[in-house]
Amino acid sequence: MYIILSVLYILPMNTLEKLQILSSAARYDASCASSGSKRESASAGFGNASQSGICHSWADDGRCISLLKILLSNDCRYDCAYCVNRSSHPVQRASFTAKEVVDLTLGFYRRNYIEGLFLSSAVMQSPDVTMERMVRVVEVLRREEQFGGYIHLKIIPGCSSELVRKAGLYADRVSVNIELPSQVSLQRLAPQKEKAAILEPMALVGREIASNLVERQMSRKAPRFAPAGQSTQMIIGASPENDFQILRLSQGLYKKMNLKRVYYSAYVPVSDDNRLPVLTSPPLLREHRLYQADWLLRFYGFSAEEILSDDLPFLDETFDPKTAWALRHPEFFPVEINRADYATLLRVPGIGVTSARRIIAARRFSAITPEGMKKIGVVMKRAKYFITSTERAFEKVDQNPLRIRQQLLLGEVAVVPPSRQLVLPGLYLS
Amino acid sequence: MKRYLYDGTSESLFSAISWILEEEAEPEKVLLTEQGLELFEEGFFIKANTGQAELLFQRLCQRAPDSAYTITLFMLAEKRGMESSLLRYVSLAFAHGDKVNGYLTHPAVRDIVSIAKRAGRELHRMKGLLRFEELQDGAYFAKMEPDHNLIQPLASWFRTRLRAQNWFLYDVKRRTAACWSNGMLQFGTIDKFYIPALSEDEKRVQLLWQTFFRTIALQDRKNPGLQKSNMPMKYWKYLTEMQT
Repeated sequence: MYIILSVLYILPMNTLEKLQILSSAARYDASCASSGSKRESASAGFGNASQSGICHSWADDGRCISLLKILLSNDCRYDCAYCVNRSSHPVQRASFTAKEVVDLTLGFYRRNYIEGLFLSSAVMQSPDVTMERMVRVVEVLRREEQFGGYIHLKIIPGCSSELVRKAGLYADRVSVNIELPSQVSLQRLAPQKEKAAILEPMALVGREIASNLVERQMSRKAPRFAPAGQSTQMIIGASPENDFQILRLSQGLYKKMNLKRVYYSAYVPVSDDNRLPVLTSPPLLREHRLYQADWLLRFYGFSAEEILSDDLPFLDETFDPKTAWALRHPEFFPVEINRADYATLLRVPGIGVTSARRIIAARRFSAITPEGMKKIGVVMKRAKYFITSTERAFEKVDQNPLRIRQQLLLGEVAVVPPSRQLVLPGLYLS
Repeated sequence: MKRYLYDGTSESLFSAISWILEEEAEPEKVLLTEQGLELFEEGFFIKANTGQAELLFQRLCQRAPDSAYTITLFMLAEKRGMESSLLRYVSLAFAHGDKVNGYLTHPAVRDIVSIAKRAGRELHRMKGLLRFEELQDGAYFAKMEPDHNLIQPLASWFRTRLRAQNWFLYDVKRRTAACWSNGMLQFGTIDKFYIPALSEDEKRVQLLWQTFFRTIALQDRKNPGLQKSNMPMKYWKYLTEMQT
């Protein structure tokens, strides 16, 4: 408070105060990725985007800061129960002008604070008016300022397809938030949002990205459409869906809508609305396990049905999903690391994408021994129960799943106590 | 074991490696160390030969471009005492091509690749963690103290990224500087240094950034351990957001 007071007289009060309101309103968006796009600036301009993405700082919650993540406005017409900016919530309202956002972005970028801009907004008068103002900001950045840095633009559900197309031409990544994992929950908690209005622009963006790829193959000069793809986000723990439903939804989004990422955000209690569960703390471990399972879907060749089932609808809190799968499938193990193919190696707990590749590269030179495995960087603490090397088991471990389970648990340092979700009786009987 | 000596410069190092690879049938079985480390040292001294060193590197770039990049990163670490490992690595790179980086079970490959990886990681980190301040004349200025000698690759990175503004990089520990001014990139060393005056706008933008940094964190999910492991405290000294 002292700092803010001391500068009141030098600073045009507005931008600082708005920044405070509109960045704290934007912090519930999980995405801060700046990867997947390689962009060179126009000769007159400056800024570029790096394929790998760059983090510029890490906030007190440990999350990376790579983009200036703000709302254009938090003055919302909608009244979604889980949201801090809902119209019935008495928070201070503010809206940036286009020039303010442009100046902030360029000022921060020139000092290397950020990789670019992540612009979202509450729904002002109408989805179209809001989206148009957001597109205007990035238009100024790209056209007038010749800005070549990364831009992530949120699509407001219900806006015209013309605006969606324009957004995709200026932005590196676009995203439409799916918010809640099912239509029923959406109706209960966000009655003004419709599933169709969310899925329609998502499908449109998916189609545009696909056809843009074809165009770019024919002509390198064709303008790019959202080169870093599209993503979405859903809130975990604000509605009663189980992990199996959530994973199947993500799997569908990856396959059918061609999404780059699905973000899961543990519900942080922001309201005492009686439609919401009472949580002692955000379900962080559940969020973490969902991300692990999401990685299994995208990089490890697993399907949602392999990870969970109707009889087993929630992810194990004590084990990561791959170890849990391995313990249920003793018939798959042990895996012989000097002969197994890439897909099989990936299924071994403790072996990730990097170490699987390294194993394959290293065994071209010589057979891999237990010492060699450690040098390569495999997490032997977990892997040793599931592999053999030239027919020799790594340690005398017996392959009884129950025993392995126990030993893994003993080896696991500090099991995080799961945060339990308190559910009020009768709440979810809709 | 036969021992070769070089004078401590990188030209001399690569000249020596080139000479050994040509003259020795089994480069795995010789040692290469810096001259003057021991009082009574024995060994063949190999004089620096810039042409030969460059030729070796060019040949390596053709035969194994990934390994050449690994060696470039390794040199940024300014490590002493690993010359013999480097010699073996180069010899293996010529024998196997780029596949050599996968030969992690070989101790020399592992030494070189892991040090190169550490240098590469810090280079990537500094691309994000470097902070510029605007000076009175409109140029931008950044100080840093990285573990590796990163000024050259960082300067060429910012040459494309921030080409529309004049800027300086200053490595406080090594007293080296890079300057991008009106489309020209220059390097040099600095003996005496004074801090130039900041522009009038600078403090205002810094305050905006510090405010953003604080409000973007979710207070319900504070995690200082994770923050420090991603952004070690040794870098905080020059981070604008940590100066409050």
